[in-house]
Amino acid sequence: MTFWEQEIETLQRSGINKLQVEKLNKTIGIAMQSPYYSDLYSRLGISSGFIKNIEDVTKLPFTTKQDLRNNFPYGFLAVNQREVVRLHSSSGTTGNPTVVYHTVNDLKEWANLMARSLFTAGIRDTDVFQNMSGYGLFTGGLGFQYGIERLGALSIPSAAGNSLRQIKLMMDFGTTAAHAIPSYLTRLYEVFLEQGLDPKRDTKLHTLVIGAEPHSEEHRRRIEEMFGVKAYNSFGLSEMNGPGVGFECTYQSGLHIWEDAFIVEIVNPDTLEPVPDGEIGELVMTTLDRRAMPLIRYRTRDLTRFIPGECPCGRTHRRLDRISGRTDDMFIIKGCNVFPMQIEGVLMKIPEVGTDYLITLETINDNDEVIVEVEVKREWFSGDLIKLDKLTREIVHKIKDEILVSPTVKLVEPGSLPQSEGKAVRVIDKRKKI
Amino acid sequence: MAFQVSVFLENKIGHLERITGVLREANINIRAMTLTHTTQGWGIFNLIVSNPAKAYESLTDRGLSATLRKVAVIEMEDTPGGLDDLLKKISSAGINFTNAYGRIVESGKLAYLAIDVEDIDHAFEKLSEAGLTLIPDDKVYGNGNH
Repeated sequence: MTFWEQEIETLQRSGINKLQVEKLNKTIGIAMQSPYYSDLYSRLGISSGFIKNIEDVTKLPFTTKQDLRNNFPYGFLAVNQREVVRLHSSSGTTGNPTVVYHTVNDLKEWANLMARSLFTAGIRDTDVFQNMSGYGLFTGGLGFQYGIERLGALSIPSAAGNSLRQIKLMMDFGTTAAHAIPSYLTRLYEVFLEQGLDPKRDTKLHTLVIGAEPHSEEHRRRIEEMFGVKAYNSFGLSEMNGPGVGFECTYQSGLHIWEDAFIVEIVNPDTLEPVPDGEIGELVMTTLDRRAMPLIRYRTRDLTRFIPGECPCGRTHRRLDRISGRTDDMFIIKGCNVFPMQIEGVLMKIPEVGTDYLITLETINDNDEVIVEVEVKREWFSGDLIKLDKLTREIVHKIKDEILVSPTVKLVEPGSLPQSEGKAVRVIDKRKKI
Repeated sequence: MAFQVSVFLENKIGHLERITGVLREANINIRAMTLTHTTQGWGIFNLIVSNPAKAYESLTDRGLSATLRKVAVIEMEDTPGGLDDLLKKISSAGINFTNAYGRIVESGKLAYLAIDVEDIDHAFEKLSEAGLTLIPDDKVYGNGNH
């Protein structure tokens, strides 16, 4: 058996389109139960049945992250709250967080997509799967958890961090597959070596799933080399559930994006018109199975392209290339989505520092680090080393609370950073594309 | 009481000269100095100069983070054991300092020690109780007779 759901996974284009039109009309009907879409669509004269063929999707308005924030907390909720059993949320203490609600059935559908994704990457119910991902509001923990269970593999919810324990679990239970962010795997490998262990010799690992963080093809090959495994790319975003949106098959040539569950468009971020197949543009997605919170034509801000041609694996669902960038200034580090505004917000609340800052992302000893340079206000400087040291630690702590990643904070001389007027460069990405 | 000039600076080539350059232009003489640094790429340059107020003004005019900071300056003998004698008195007065540096005033005879203390006003009291006298400002700045 090479497919999780052969019929759906190998559906011909006309069949996919027909299914999408059917589901989209249904989704419009559900979405109109939410205050946001009900108001918007009745003004525009849109209702269930509005979509005659798949091209009609472009007649629907886009939904943006700002719309989600403006309608926080329940503006997009399309069912009675009694039916909602879980929410996932971004941290977003600077603005309203992005929240996604799920009914029992939403979670079931998500778990199925996740199981299909894992199956596509060659993972089976005989595997022992260790999920080294943060649990809680972050979708990488529970998202994978339910998928592994749905697939029937033995799950080890080891969560993020604590490398020595991760290694012990791998050895004790004969872990064969695992999920982690790529930068963590390079660190874990070093801990293996420090312990005098070689993952190739001392573990039963055959598959690693990596995602939630930009990484190059070379980085993937290096991870495969280190652990003696196949490493598969995973794509997801919290607005579209989380992981399980797109996944590589064993041919490792692009991420199959599940078109029975999502309508996928790629548009020019300036004109918002569809780009020709194979060209890079902004990924726009529509949920087709969600009840609690359907999202229609959601602008993901991720830049990618469709990989033209058919995949030798036989799946007909189109493949996305790696995410090549963002149309906004968000960056992803250690699996966390970070907007420079979040860091700016923290700094603004610390009276001792100026508002100019510079964020540098850099790979130091195989680890991706966030370096934040800030100016100490002239009038606050007292010549006291201890006070400056305390201030540094305070800034580190407060930024970590906000973005969940511990930064390196460097105090710099006043006037040495780009000024806050105009479009100053705030983020410099020097990460090694290993 | 005497003031030292403290300047915040990044540990980078050329940054120290920028400060000394400003002082040269303002015709300010450096009497003593110490440079502290942290592992985080920055440090503090502390100076006793001929005219701290003018030095402070010149440095801040150029956009540098400078401040005037009170220090206790006490004399000691410029002989073997001179500093040891003085430190014994300072410690018996119950004073802990975070930074200290000295300068020779008369070789073989007299030297000054500048100490930087967290609660400096309280420390002044303790010093006088211990019978230690502070050097008058003009002598600290090297403008009096010595």
